[in-house]
Amino acid sequence: MDAPPIQARGLGKRYGAVVALKDLSLDVVQGEVFGFLGPNGAGKTTTIRLLLGLIRPDGGEVKVLGRVPFGLGVAARADIGYLPGDMTFWPKLSGAETLEFFAQLTGRPPVARERLLARLGLGAAELARHVRTYSDGMKQKLGLVQALQCEPKLALLDEPTKGLDPLVQQAFYEIVADLRNAGATVFLSSHVLPEVERTCDRVAMLRSGTVVSLGDVETLRRAERRRVIADFNADVDTTALGHFGEVSVARPRHVELLVAQAALPALVARLGMLPLEDVVVERPTLEEAFLEHYR
Amino acid sequence: MLRHHARLHRVALVPLALGLALFEWLMTFVAGEPMVSRFLSEALRAAPPQFLALLNQDLLVGVSARGIVGVGYAHPFSLIMMAVWSVRVPCGALAGEIGRGTMDLMAARPVSRSSQVAAAALALFAGLGVLAASAWLGTAVGLVMRPLPEVSAFRYLPVAAALWLVFACFGAVALLVSSLASDAGTAIAWIAGLLAGSYVLDYVARVWTRLASLRPASLFSYYEPQRVVEAGLGRHDAAVLAAVGAAALALAFAVFGRRDL
Repeated sequence: MDAPPIQARGLGKRYGAVVALKDLSLDVVQGEVFGFLGPNGAGKTTTIRLLLGLIRPDGGEVKVLGRVPFGLGVAARADIGYLPGDMTFWPKLSGAETLEFFAQLTGRPPVARERLLARLGLGAAELARHVRTYSDGMKQKLGLVQALQCEPKLALLDEPTKGLDPLVQQAFYEIVADLRNAGATVFLSSHVLPEVERTCDRVAMLRSGTVVSLGDVETLRRAERRRVIADFNADVDTTALGHFGEVSVARPRHVELLVAQAALPALVARLGMLPLEDVVVERPTLEEAFLEHYR
Repeated sequence: MLRHHARLHRVALVPLALGLALFEWLMTFVAGEPMVSRFLSEALRAAPPQFLALLNQDLLVGVSARGIVGVGYAHPFSLIMMAVWSVRVPCGALAGEIGRGTMDLMAARPVSRSSQVAAAALALFAGLGVLAASAWLGTAVGLVMRPLPEVSAFRYLPVAAALWLVFACFGAVALLVSSLASDAGTAIAWIAGLLAGSYVLDYVARVWTRLASLRPASLFSYYEPQRVVEAGLGRHDAAVLAAVGAAALALAFAVFGRRDL
């Protein structure tokens, strides 16, 4: 049986006095798309660089595809595709030369290259040009192809849709779905919450180097408070509903409040005793869940 | 990895090799002109010893045709041509790739860090070999086109080897500096300073006897082309340069293998 793609226990990293990552523990199972969310400086890129063995942890342990990344895991890297957050290449190399060089370094045939190029809309004419003439979006496309062209078992993607137009973003979501269907594991960091909500099976939220929430997208959403909007056909004391949750808008005939899932039945029962005209219960988006964690 | 370095640096190697070959070729013509020999002889007799020290030149050897050809290997032009390669390749290979952001992409592949240092070292030594060979070819072609009495091109093979060795040593030190730095600019500044400092120390220690004891601290003190022309490659000089180069290379492997990228 293959080792789990990512196992981290108590992982920590400091840069001088700055704690970049603190006691990170997570398991990513094979075939899942794992989202890594957090504001700038939360430790997302540090985590990915630790997983690749580019930097050494100060504490804890990590295994990627069953191997310790720093120093010992060279062979395992043939099964890893990596897209850095800041995409830079050699300006004097053409796109085609760049892809060929990375395939040679990986040591495996680039079996998915043509398919990826077609999906992302990078043609032969663009590939023949020097990378210095590429726009940011084209560099990002080239970055995605170099990361995935050898069909990795594990893809580590740092902000994968940065600079991509909506059409290409759509193509990227399809590529991620195909990777999942093929049994590959995808670990992606992102700021784009609808993207994570749409593509990921599980999500970890990171704040100041610490995981503040970890679970599947649905569970995270469920754990968050519901927004309840109620309208009345007569004046009521809406502030009296404050003990059910946090009232954000309170007018005589209109109230909006955030309520924990456990308090919903009692609130609905109370509203039923009032001259209720309409009531809406909104499930929180991942974005609302995210913002609630970072406020 | 080696092909990668070749692709990045081959364009620079061509003008450097041509420049060195042309310069050493010209030196054989300069040496063959009686007027030039006479002029240089007079000039050197009148020159202060500090000036001769700058040329790394022994007066008695320098005025002979053999010595004038040898001056080409100690001339700042040749030294600068070699220095460009011994700074460019090591600093571009490690620190340069880190600074550009491309090191992450390469290090994320199944390529060990030691093979990255080894590829950079091979590119460095091979390029220096091409440059030293070009310099000797310039001398050899010049002497074939205009033979000089008692001057054989084969006498300059050890000189070209010494030229390779001193800059291979500097290149290994540059590789060590590059393995510690995080951008090419910083690495280039350090190694350029080290090269210039070493050259100045060698010169000052030659002309100022109070500093003569410091001369062995300069790598240039182990490179004396005039002496090599006459007596062949000195074992002591070669051993010191090889030992310093090997130690710097071993440290570069150790440092780069353990550092955060």
